[in-house]
Amino acid sequence: MIRDLVFVLLALLTVVPAFWVVFSRNIVHAGFALLFTLVGVAGFYGFLGADFLAVTQLMVYVGGVLVLVLFTVMMTHVPAVGRRRHGLDRLVPPAVFAAAVFGVLYKVITVVKWNVGEASTSPTTAEIGTQLMTNYVFPFEYVSIVLLAAMVGAAILIRERSHAGSDDAIAEEKQEARP
Amino acid sequence: MNLPHFLGVVSGVQGQGVQGHFATALIFVLVGIAFAALALGVAKLLRPSNPSAAKSTTYECGEVAHGSSWIRFNVRFYLVALFFIVFDVEMIFLLPWAVVFRQLFPVPGLGALVFWDMIIFLAILGLGLAYVWAKGDLDWVKKLAERSGPVATGITEEEEVPAP
Amino acid sequence: MELLHVKIPSWGDLQWWLPEAVLCCTFLLALLGDMLARGRRPVVAFAISVAGLLAAGALAIADTHAVAPAGGRAIMGDLMVVDGMAIFFRLLFVFGGLATVLFAWTSEEIMGHRRENKGEFFALTVLMTVAMMVMAEARNVLMLYLAMEGVGLTSYVMAGYMRTSLRSTEASLKYVIFGAVSSAIMLYGLSLLYGMTGSLQFSGIRAVLLGGGAEPFGILVAVVLILAGMSYKIAAVPFHFWCPDVYEGAPTPVAALFSVGPKAAGFALMIRFFYTTFAVGTNAAASNSLIQVINWPLLVSVISAVTMTFGNLVALRQTNVKRMLAYSSIAHVGYLLMGFVLLSEMGLAAILFYLLVYTLMNLGAFFFVVAVNNHLKSEQLEDYKGLGYRMPWAGVMMVVFLGSLTGVPPFAGFVGKLYLFTAVMDRQWFWLVIIAGLNSVISLYYYFRVARVMWLVRPDEGHDSPLRLSWLQYTVLACLAVPTLVLGLYFGAFKDLADAGIRTMAGG
Repeated sequence: MIRDLVFVLLALLTVVPAFWVVFSRNIVHAGFALLFTLVGVAGFYGFLGADFLAVTQLMVYVGGVLVLVLFTVMMTHVPAVGRRRHGLDRLVPPAVFAAAVFGVLYKVITVVKWNVGEASTSPTTAEIGTQLMTNYVFPFEYVSIVLLAAMVGAAILIRERSHAGSDDAIAEEKQEARP
Repeated sequence: MNLPHFLGVVSGVQGQGVQGHFATALIFVLVGIAFAALALGVAKLLRPSNPSAAKSTTYECGEVAHGSSWIRFNVRFYLVALFFIVFDVEMIFLLPWAVVFRQLFPVPGLGALVFWDMIIFLAILGLGLAYVWAKGDLDWVKKLAERSGPVATGITEEEEVPAP
Repeated sequence: MELLHVKIPSWGDLQWWLPEAVLCCTFLLALLGDMLARGRRPVVAFAISVAGLLAAGALAIADTHAVAPAGGRAIMGDLMVVDGMAIFFRLLFVFGGLATVLFAWTSEEIMGHRRENKGEFFALTVLMTVAMMVMAEARNVLMLYLAMEGVGLTSYVMAGYMRTSLRSTEASLKYVIFGAVSSAIMLYGLSLLYGMTGSLQFSGIRAVLLGGGAEPFGILVAVVLILAGMSYKIAAVPFHFWCPDVYEGAPTPVAALFSVGPKAAGFALMIRFFYTTFAVGTNAAASNSLIQVINWPLLVSVISAVTMTFGNLVALRQTNVKRMLAYSSIAHVGYLLMGFVLLSEMGLAAILFYLLVYTLMNLGAFFFVVAVNNHLKSEQLEDYKGLGYRMPWAGVMMVVFLGSLTGVPPFAGFVGKLYLFTAVMDRQWFWLVIIAGLNSVISLYYYFRVARVMWLVRPDEGHDSPLRLSWLQYTVLACLAVPTLVLGLYFGAFKDLADAGIRTMAGG
């Protein structure tokens, strides 16, 4: 009974702010609402016994990605543009699409006989560590190279240009703008 | 509570295990919320309420605030945040390794691998750190002397966009 | 601690993965070299990249003899397999990567004096090559996803490489957004499949599916989601939106690589994933039923027909050569998908062969655009007037590429299309062949419009000075044009290679 209660609380924590994210007229509020959704998902991981995933969710998504999202919002600026408007014409097609996707996924989830093992009742971090060092040692190393590429790529794309604002660059952009 | 059967896991998992630990965490969360609610609630009851327009303005050291607090951030914040995430993810990979290192290191044929795996992993990401360092992405104040050409606004100082 | 359930990995597996390992080191070294040169001497990273790619190519060719006869060799704890198909794609990707690196070196869009981060470009190209090779080798869902993300991440960066260009930045942004959405969709499909079968290994998934332990509706949804994610990678309709804008905005050498590399890797992935999980096997009845559950032939043939028709019809209206080539590459994906309709060995081998031909001719056509762009700073068709007279050798080679892309007889494109058409003709999917034939006629118009403008229209007064290309550009173009011609006449050996690639593909 207490499990059901916890589950419902977590579901509320995840879903209600998710609606807020989608419908909020203020994009900063949407970003902050995402915080609760991500925490709620972390709660679900913990609830299902995936302790490592729960911690990862908190560390990476709540602690990292969310900060990035908020920075992005702050960088885009212009509150007037940042406020979203909702016309019925904008709401109906996505709503129909979302309902259809939900219907299909609901059917899949209920119809399929899931091949699930016993949910783990012991901490999983050690098992994950062992797997990473043995069966999955290759992806482990591969990930480091992909992360390196991500870092270099981010630096290349975001780094302030030394020629920024130079006449050449502006001329080039103007030339491109010409149809 | 009549949940669909695919949520049977709700009542299906027994035992104290991980969920037990998280139950402890949950209690902490609940106590935290209760504590904050209690403190604010009691304060609300005790304090006199006398709001005025001047009181609800933003406090900026006595100055009258002008413009919006929503200014455009410098892109540098974003870059640093991105680097932070990369190393955050790296740490996530370090964690399980650290947990099992003591058990796996003595295993014959595996010890050296476990050790060098992480060394390589760290070396590759260390190269990334060296890269952004060498390229000056970590310098908060850019060295302007080395740059050629006219310098755009925004490189030298924080951009502060005046309110419309 | 219980260690019975794990296999202790051995360093020995690395010897079957040498080309990729060499390229990984090349990436790190190129980055390090560029750093030590303080980013001022891109030639360091360029030289390291070229040396690494050449070494990897040599190792891959040496591996051909060592591995191919033995069939597939599972490596890295069975996460990947080195078999005939993997080796075929290895060679293809190393070739494509090398050609791109060499041509990018001559491209103003990458190496122009205002450009920055020149060294990193070569390092990233090398890394993309590795990731594409892993895509072709993966036989585990986790590895598949990591490889796709590796290709994705590097492509997003390379698409936005011209930082002073708004178009390039927009291309990068579009690529990221579409890429993220599609990989989320695919990941959802993969997770459904994992939930149903309890296995990440292609073979494990197959075993459960064959055992009839999965609900058809669930498989249908999972396969459609996965197919959607992969269709994005190969830019098949309706997941092609990003393609023209990204190709147009990205630096042209990058667009050239995008149009062949990730697409070929996407096809490799689709072949291995769908063929070894859903089709191949001794139990013909069972494997047929797996395909029938989702009516695979109908699904793919419709996608194929729509993709080629859309690509060709829109390409007709383009006045920008680069954008036209982007739409034409969508059309070519439609042709390639024909080989996928029946999931037969014959069709898949035709895909492999066509990918080889397509890599040659499409890289060639894009590189010609690079060479022109260096001089004219334009990709508009009207500026191509009389180009044949201003750069005759390159002009002739461009005609070869265009002829081959159309699929007219003396060129390799014809042979490739012939194999694709017969693969479908074999089993009464005539309507698809008819549509493909009509499409080839449409494509004739817009490819030869370029050739006509180049050769049958005299250059304007004052714009008729000869344009010089560097020896490197001539060499790379010739290395692409000559095989495009030769493969049209002597295709036997390479067709055998493609056939062997599919035949020795390790079963699920």
